[in-house]
Amino acid sequence: MDRELLSYKGAKLLFAITALLTFFQGLCVILQAIFLGRVVAGLFSGKQIASVSSDLLLFFVVLVFRHFLSLVIKKACFRFADRTSSELRKSFLTKLFELGPKSIRKEGTGALVSLSLEGVLQAKKYLELFIPKMAANAIVPVLILLFVFWTDKMSGIILLLTMPVLIIFMILLGLAAQKKMDDRWASYRVLSNHFIDSLRGLPTLYYLGISRLHKKTINRVSEKYRSMTMGTLRLAFLSSFALDFFTMLSIAFVAVALGIRLIDGHILLEPALIVLILAPEYFLPVRELGQDYHATLDGKEAARKLRAYTNNTNVDSLSADAAQQHLQWSEHAVLDVKACSVTHEGAGRRTLNNLSLHLSGFEKVGIIGASGAGKSTLIDFIGGFIKAESGTIKINDHDTSFSMNEWRQQVTYIPQHPYLFSASLRENIAFYKPDATEQQLLQAVQAAGLEPLIRRFPGGLEERIGSGGRQLSGGQEQRVALARGFLCDRPILLLDEPTAHLDIETEYELKEPMIHLFQNKLVLLATHRLHWMEQMDRILVIRDGQIVETGTQDELIQTQGVYHEMVRSQLEGIL
Amino acid sequence: MNEWLVPSIKKHWRGFSLAAFLSLMAILCASGLLFTSGYLISKAALRPENILMIYVPIVGVRTFGTFRAVFNYVGRLASHNTILKVLSEMRAHLYEKLEPAALFIRSKYKTGNILSVLSEDIEHLQDLFLRTVLPGGIALVIYALWVAMLGLFSPSFALGMALYLLLLLAALPFISLIWMRKFHRRISKSRHQLYEQLTDAILGSADWMMSGRQEQFIVSYEKLEKESRLAEYTLDNFRKWRDFAAQALIGICVVITVIWSGHMVQADSMDRTLIAAFALVIFTISESLVPLSEAIERLPQYKQSLNRLEEIKNVEDKLTKQVMSKNWDQPAEWINIEVNHVFFKFAETEDWSVNDVSLSVPQGAKMAVIGRSGAGKSTLAHLIYGALVPSEGSVTLNGTPAHMIGEMRSKQISVLSQNPHLFDTSVLNNLALGSPQATIDDVVRAAKLVGLHQLIEKLPEGYHTQMHEAGSIFSGGERERLALARILLRNAPVVILDEPTVGLDPITERTLLKTIFKTLEGKTLIWITHHLTGTEKMDQVLFMENGSIHLKGQHAQLMRESDRYRSLYELDVPKHLRQAIEEPSSRE
Repeated sequence: MDRELLSYKGAKLLFAITALLTFFQGLCVILQAIFLGRVVAGLFSGKQIASVSSDLLLFFVVLVFRHFLSLVIKKACFRFADRTSSELRKSFLTKLFELGPKSIRKEGTGALVSLSLEGVLQAKKYLELFIPKMAANAIVPVLILLFVFWTDKMSGIILLLTMPVLIIFMILLGLAAQKKMDDRWASYRVLSNHFIDSLRGLPTLYYLGISRLHKKTINRVSEKYRSMTMGTLRLAFLSSFALDFFTMLSIAFVAVALGIRLIDGHILLEPALIVLILAPEYFLPVRELGQDYHATLDGKEAARKLRAYTNNTNVDSLSADAAQQHLQWSEHAVLDVKACSVTHEGAGRRTLNNLSLHLSGFEKVGIIGASGAGKSTLIDFIGGFIKAESGTIKINDHDTSFSMNEWRQQVTYIPQHPYLFSASLRENIAFYKPDATEQQLLQAVQAAGLEPLIRRFPGGLEERIGSGGRQLSGGQEQRVALARGFLCDRPILLLDEPTAHLDIETEYELKEPMIHLFQNKLVLLATHRLHWMEQMDRILVIRDGQIVETGTQDELIQTQGVYHEMVRSQLEGIL
Repeated sequence: MNEWLVPSIKKHWRGFSLAAFLSLMAILCASGLLFTSGYLISKAALRPENILMIYVPIVGVRTFGTFRAVFNYVGRLASHNTILKVLSEMRAHLYEKLEPAALFIRSKYKTGNILSVLSEDIEHLQDLFLRTVLPGGIALVIYALWVAMLGLFSPSFALGMALYLLLLLAALPFISLIWMRKFHRRISKSRHQLYEQLTDAILGSADWMMSGRQEQFIVSYEKLEKESRLAEYTLDNFRKWRDFAAQALIGICVVITVIWSGHMVQADSMDRTLIAAFALVIFTISESLVPLSEAIERLPQYKQSLNRLEEIKNVEDKLTKQVMSKNWDQPAEWINIEVNHVFFKFAETEDWSVNDVSLSVPQGAKMAVIGRSGAGKSTLAHLIYGALVPSEGSVTLNGTPAHMIGEMRSKQISVLSQNPHLFDTSVLNNLALGSPQATIDDVVRAAKLVGLHQLIEKLPEGYHTQMHEAGSIFSGGERERLALARILLRNAPVVILDEPTVGLDPITERTLLKTIFKTLEGKTLIWITHHLTGTEKMDQVLFMENGSIHLKGQHAQLMRESDRYRSLYELDVPKHLRQAIEEPSSRE
C-alpha cells in the first residue's frame, strides 16, 4: 500500500467508498454465478424455460448492477485523480516561477515541460487506477473464496493454494527480468539513444563523409537493439506467462476435480457450475493488476517527482511587508552587499565567495573576468535568481533580499540570448509594461532602432515572432530586448554578455542605442568585450568568485594587476 | 501512407500472420477451456459408470489450460519481434530520407525538437499493430468462428447472433470513432497549445519573474488546461458508458444463448451437456470483441504520426545533386580552388544568397571571410564544399566542379563547424570517427596536438570513457578541440572553419585559434569568422555583404583604406587599451 497516496486530499474518503462499493460488486459477482448456475442446471435437468426465466432475469439484473457499480467507482476515482493531479500541476507551476531560470537550467526545459504535461497525466492515471485496483484485489477474491469454501471445500483449497504460488512466481520472474534489465542498462541506453544521436549528429557525419555509410550502422545497431530487447522480453513476459499458466491450470484442476466428484455423486451439478463460473472471476482482479502495472509505476514516480519539486525550498522567503518604500532605487540610493556567498548547485564549490560590494546611484559598473570566474553568478544573484547562503544585503540601510518582487520590478535584465515569446512583436516589446500607450511604444521602438525591421515586416508591429513565427537574428533579438528596456524604464539595468555572440558589425550598431539606454540607470554589465569598459565609471574584476580589483579603467591599467594581465592576453596576437 | 507501411507489411507478412495466429490460438484455448469444462461437468453430472467416459474432456480441459498460456507467451514474443523489425526498417528509412539534407536539417526544421518528434512517431506506430490491427483482426476471426460454430447447430440462430454481435463488433466501434474523433482532435490541439505555451513560458521564465506577472501566466495557462481537462472528461465519460453498454450487451447475449440452448435441448436438436458449455464460453467470446472499440478509437492518432512522417519530402535535387566525376578517383595532395562568378539562391522567389563572387584560393592560402549573419558566408562555404550546386558560374577544385568530386570530397576538404556533435560512444571512437585506418597512436598524437591528451587521460577510463559520462566535462572550447583532432586525423589539404569560436570567451577563443592555426599549418584555410582578431595574420580578408564581396584585401591594406573596417577592428582591439598596454612595455 502506498502511504503517500492516502495523504492526498479526499483519498481516504474515496478509499472507503470504493471499498464499500467493491464489496457489493463482489456480492454481485457471486449472485450472478448463482443465478446462471441455477438456470443452466435447471435446463439441464429438463425444466421448461419459463420456469427458469425469473432466475435468468435476476442474473441479467445483477450483471447490469455489477457493471453499474464499477462505473460509479471509476467515475469517482477519475474525479479524484483529475482534481488531485490538477492541484499537483498548479503548485508545481507556481514553484517553477518562484525558483526561476537557475533551477530550470539544472533540470532542463524539456524535462520540466514533459513533467508538467506527460508527468501530470501519468500521475493522474496512477491516482485513478491504484485505489480501485487495490480494493478489488483485497475484497473480491476473498469474498469468492469464502463462498467457494462454503459451497465446495475441495475447489476452495485448489483456488486458495494457487494464489500464493502464482504471486511468488510472478514476483520471482519480475525480479529476474528486472535484474537482467539492470545488468544491461548501460548498453541498452546507448542502443536506444543511437538513432536520435545519429540524427542530431547528421551534419557532422556528412562532413566526415560517412553519412551514407552510417545507414548500415543504424541497421546494425537497430538489429542489436531488437535482439537485446527480445532477450529481455522473453524474461519479462514470463511473469504474465506464469499468471496465465497457473490461472488456467487452476481452473482446469477445479473443473476436473468437480467432474470426478460429480461422477461419484459427492456434489451436484448446480453448485459445481457455480464454482466453475466463479473460478475465472477469482483470478480476474490480479490479472487486471498486472495489466497496467507499468503505467502505475511511471505515474507513481511522476507524482513523486512533482511533489519533490514543489517541496523544494531553495528560495528566500522574506516577509513581503518588509519596508518596501526603502527599496526604491534613485540617484541617491545605496546598495551594500556584505560577505555574501553563493554555492553552485552540484559543483560543491562557491561561485561567489564572501563577496562584498557597494553600489550607489546611477553608476555604470563593468564586471570582467575569465569564464567561470562568477560574472554571471553575480548578475543572477543581484537579479534575484539565486539566493545567497550567507551575508547581508542592505538597500538604503534596510535589510532586504534580491528575490523580493519589489526589487525585481525595478530591474531590467538583458542576457546574452534574450528570450522572445511566441507572440507579436508588439506583445514582446510591451512584455514588461502591457499597458503602455502607442506613443510610448513607438518611442521605445525608435530608441532601440527597430524601425527598419518593422518596416520590412508585412504585419509591422503585429508580426508574429519567436518560436513558430518569424525568426530574428541575434542582433535583432537584442534590439527587441533594448526596446523592452526603454519602454519599462526601470532604474536598474543588468546585462550579461549582451554582445558576445554577435558579429562585429551588429555589435557596433548596437553600441549606440545601448549607451543611450544606460542613461540615468544603475548599470551592471558583465562582458568579455573590452571596448565596453571605456563607457564604465568603474570596473569590477572577478576571479574565483571574489572581487580582486576595482577602479576606473585607467587606474586598473596603472596598477598592472589582474585586469592589466587580462587585457594583455586578449590583445596578444594569435599566431 | 504507402511509403511507410506497405513495404514493411509486404516484407513481414509472415511474421505478422504468425503473431496473429498464435494470439488467436491463445483466445481459442481460453474459450476451449471453458467450453470443455462446462461440457465436462455436465457430462459427469450424468453419472457415467466409468471415469473413462469423461476422459476426453478431462484431457481437453488440461490441454487447453496449459496451451493457452504457452500460445499467449509465444504470440506476444512473435508480435514484438516482428514489430521491432519493422521499427528498425522505418528508422533506417527515416535516416535515408533525412541524410541528403544533412547540412540543412537545422534550418529546415527550425526546432531541433522535430527530430525527437519524428523518432517518437515511429515508436508510436508500433501500437498501430500491437493495439489496433492485432486485437481488431483477432476479434473478427473469433466472430466468424463463433458464428460458423453456431451455424452447425442452427443456421437461423447463427444469423441472428451474427447480427446481434455486430452491435459489439461494428456499432460501438463506429460510434466511438465518429463521436470521439472530435474530442480527440480538440484534446490534441489544446495539448499542443499547452506544450507550446509552457515551453515558451519556461524558456522565458526570467522575464516572467522580472516582470512580476507570473501569476497572470498561471491563471491563463490553467484556463487553457481546463479546456483540455473538460474534453478529456467527456471522452472518459463516454468510454465508461460505452464499456457499461458493452457489458450489458454481453449479458443479453448470455441470456439469449442460454434460452436458445434450452430450446434446442427441448427440441432434442442438441445434447443437454452443451448448455453449460455454451453458457460458459459465451463470456469469453463476447469479451474478445470488446477491445475493438478502443482499437478503432486510436486510428486518428496514428494518422497524425503518419502524416508528420509523410511531410518529409526528399530534398530538392537542385540543391544537392551529386554527380561523380571520373577524373577524380584518388585524393590530391594540393588543391587549387577557383570560384568564378558564382550566383546562388535557395528558391526562385528569394534574393541571391551569393551574388557574383569570384575568388582564387591556391593550396596553402589563408583566407578570412567576415560579414554579418546572413551575408552569405556559410552558403559560399557550402558551395566550395560542393554541398550546394551554383545557380550560375562555377566552383572548381583543380578544375573539377566541386559538386562532382563525389566520394573523395570529405578526404579533400574538412569542416570545423560550431557545436560539432559528440556521439554517444567512447572518446576514442569519437576522435577516430571517419578515419577507420587510424591507430590508437595516431589518435593520441592528434589529442596531444590539440592539447587534450592530459585531460582525456584523467577521465575514469581514459580514451575508452563513454562520451555520455564525459560530455559534461568538456567545455565548449574543448569540444571544438575534439573536433579539431578529428580533422587532424583525416589530414585533408583544405579546411573550412565555419565560425568555430562562436560563444567562447575571448581568451579561450584565442588559445583555440592559436591551436587551430598551429596544427593546420600548410593547409588551405577558409575561415568564416565574426570577429576581426586574427585577421591580420591572414593572406586575404573577404568582407561579404548581401551575398557579394564588399571588400577584399590584406588586413594592413584594409586598415589603411577602409574607415569601416578600421572602426570595426577597433571594437575588437580598442586602440586606447592597446596603447595603454603597449606603452609601458615599450618603455621597459
